[in-house]
Amino acid sequence: MKTNASIWVLLLVAYGAIPLTLGSNHYVMSLLVAALVIGGIALAWALLGNLGGMVSFGHSAFFGVGAYVSALLTLKAGTPIVIAMLLGGVGALLASLVMLPVLRLRGPYFALAILAYAHIFKIIATEWTAVTGGSAGLSSIPRFPTAFGFDFSGKVGSYLIILSVVLIFALCYRLIRASDYGIALRAMHDSEDATRVIGVNSVLLKALMLFVSAFMTGVIGAFNAHYINFLEPDYAFNGLWVTLPIVAAIFGGYRTILGPLIGAVTVYLIDQLVFKSLIPYGHQLILGALLVAMILFSPSGLVPLLRASVRRNHAAG
Amino acid sequence: MLRVEELSVCFGGLTAVNKVSLSVGTDEVVGLVGPNGAGKTTLFNAVSGLARPSSGRIIFDSVDVLRAPLHRRAKMGIGRTFQIPQPLHELTVRENLLVAQRFGAGQVDQQKIDEILEFTNLAPKGDREAAKELALTELKALEVAKALATNPKLLMLDEVLAGLETSGKRRFMAMLKELHQKFAVGILIIEHDIETISNLCQRVVVLNFGKLIADGAPDQVFRDPEVIKSYTGADHAGSR
Ligand SMILES: Nc1ncnc2c1ncn2[C@@H]1O[C@H](COP(=O)(O)OP(=O)(O)O)[C@@H](O)[C@H]1O
Ligand SMILES: [Mg+2]
Repeated sequence: MKTNASIWVLLLVAYGAIPLTLGSNHYVMSLLVAALVIGGIALAWALLGNLGGMVSFGHSAFFGVGAYVSALLTLKAGTPIVIAMLLGGVGALLASLVMLPVLRLRGPYFALAILAYAHIFKIIATEWTAVTGGSAGLSSIPRFPTAFGFDFSGKVGSYLIILSVVLIFALCYRLIRASDYGIALRAMHDSEDATRVIGVNSVLLKALMLFVSAFMTGVIGAFNAHYINFLEPDYAFNGLWVTLPIVAAIFGGYRTILGPLIGAVTVYLIDQLVFKSLIPYGHQLILGALLVAMILFSPSGLVPLLRASVRRNHAAG
Repeated sequence: MLRVEELSVCFGGLTAVNKVSLSVGTDEVVGLVGPNGAGKTTLFNAVSGLARPSSGRIIFDSVDVLRAPLHRRAKMGIGRTFQIPQPLHELTVRENLLVAQRFGAGQVDQQKIDEILEFTNLAPKGDREAAKELALTELKALEVAKALATNPKLLMLDEVLAGLETSGKRRFMAMLKELHQKFAVGILIIEHDIETISNLCQRVVVLNFGKLIADGAPDQVFRDPEVIKSYTGADHAGSR
């Protein structure tokens, strides 16, 4: 009951109050869009970690592939943006197929292997000049169209799109987690052998989570491409597209569904609005310090911390 | 139903299972005994798919399963328990069985789950308790219950009685006696206690240093001088 109520409030604020009050402030809206992009990746990353038990440093590859696929489809084949974005997700999913062999690796080996794979895609985007435009990049990527009499190419429109995408992904995450597959994946966490001998195909389930996570990240990369209208390999495959989400997810609580989103918005906004004005260069250092503090103080992250304090207040009052 | 032929499993230079051949029929309860380190658990691991044999064959229901992945073998009807219980920690007892049933047997049947919970004396724990909060007897019961939920044709029990105190052991024993009939499973059970084996099994197989040294009716096998020597020669006669 209480959770439902707070989610409705959150939705009302996100869809109503924010666009109405801050909609004309382009700077804040662009920060929010960027925060939700990070949050979306963080959510997809946390899904893989939480359900699949995998720590990925390679999500920038999915982000970049999604961005390039969608940009190229709209630029060269005239594909409608919505379909191109979904195909961007599919492209990222296909990119994750080549990572399947590393699923059998564990711990740091998996993390390193997936990092290496991520780099391969950046090289392809740089070297395959005929298609990708090489390091010069792609420009004039189509913007979001006008629909239902509303111009989605503006800041508010883009904000509503990414907000909806991210919330739909959160819902999917929730459904997967509650499904039989989700329960089996949860079981696999600390007793993989025990789960396998009762008939669970652990490699398949992990692969499915990798696909879902890659697809989501690809769609978000595609969104970002149409939002900023420009792509180059160094930007699209930048390691920040995975490190920032990791910080956000861990800060917010990667075991929860909303944690990564709330973590992303909090971390990104604080960084940009507060720290950046205090220390123009090297402000990310404070983020690092903040993360360390969070890990020491509340290892499971911000959202579980908030929940616990709400419960405590409830009990006290 | 299960036929193991000339099976060997090596760990580096150590041959933990050495050219072992044995069989278990659908309506049999077979004991597997031998000193610690004889290779009993490794044999279970090879049959269930956790250990990779270096040579030999494993035939289950007339199918060669040597190359079949673990989960496929479970779905075919090979069930097992672990010597050190391995519950699905984060889940409730019922969820443990649900996962086993959904993935091992293919379909969920709450009534069957209730029946298994009842049979293994876990019914009171079913919905409330997370598996990690159970006591040892319950953990051992959960091992059996999980395996049963996959609807096995063969059930391999690895020292399910070890470490239980007397009353728990007695209850468990009563359960084991019924298991074979009630769930129509063939059973291969690892157990050190000679009396228990004689009580439960029509046949017993003895391993020593990875080799099969006897296979026959318990009263004969336990009179075999070589078997007696393997039992008393090692340091653990009558112990775990
Ligand atoms: N994963 C493993 N790696 C290396 N050696 C192992 C492994 N598993 C078992 N062994 C060795 O194989 C032998 C048989 O062990 P095991 O099958 O557990 O014996 P038992 O169950 O009969 O007590 C022992 O010497 C043990 O140390
Ligand atoms: Mg053993």
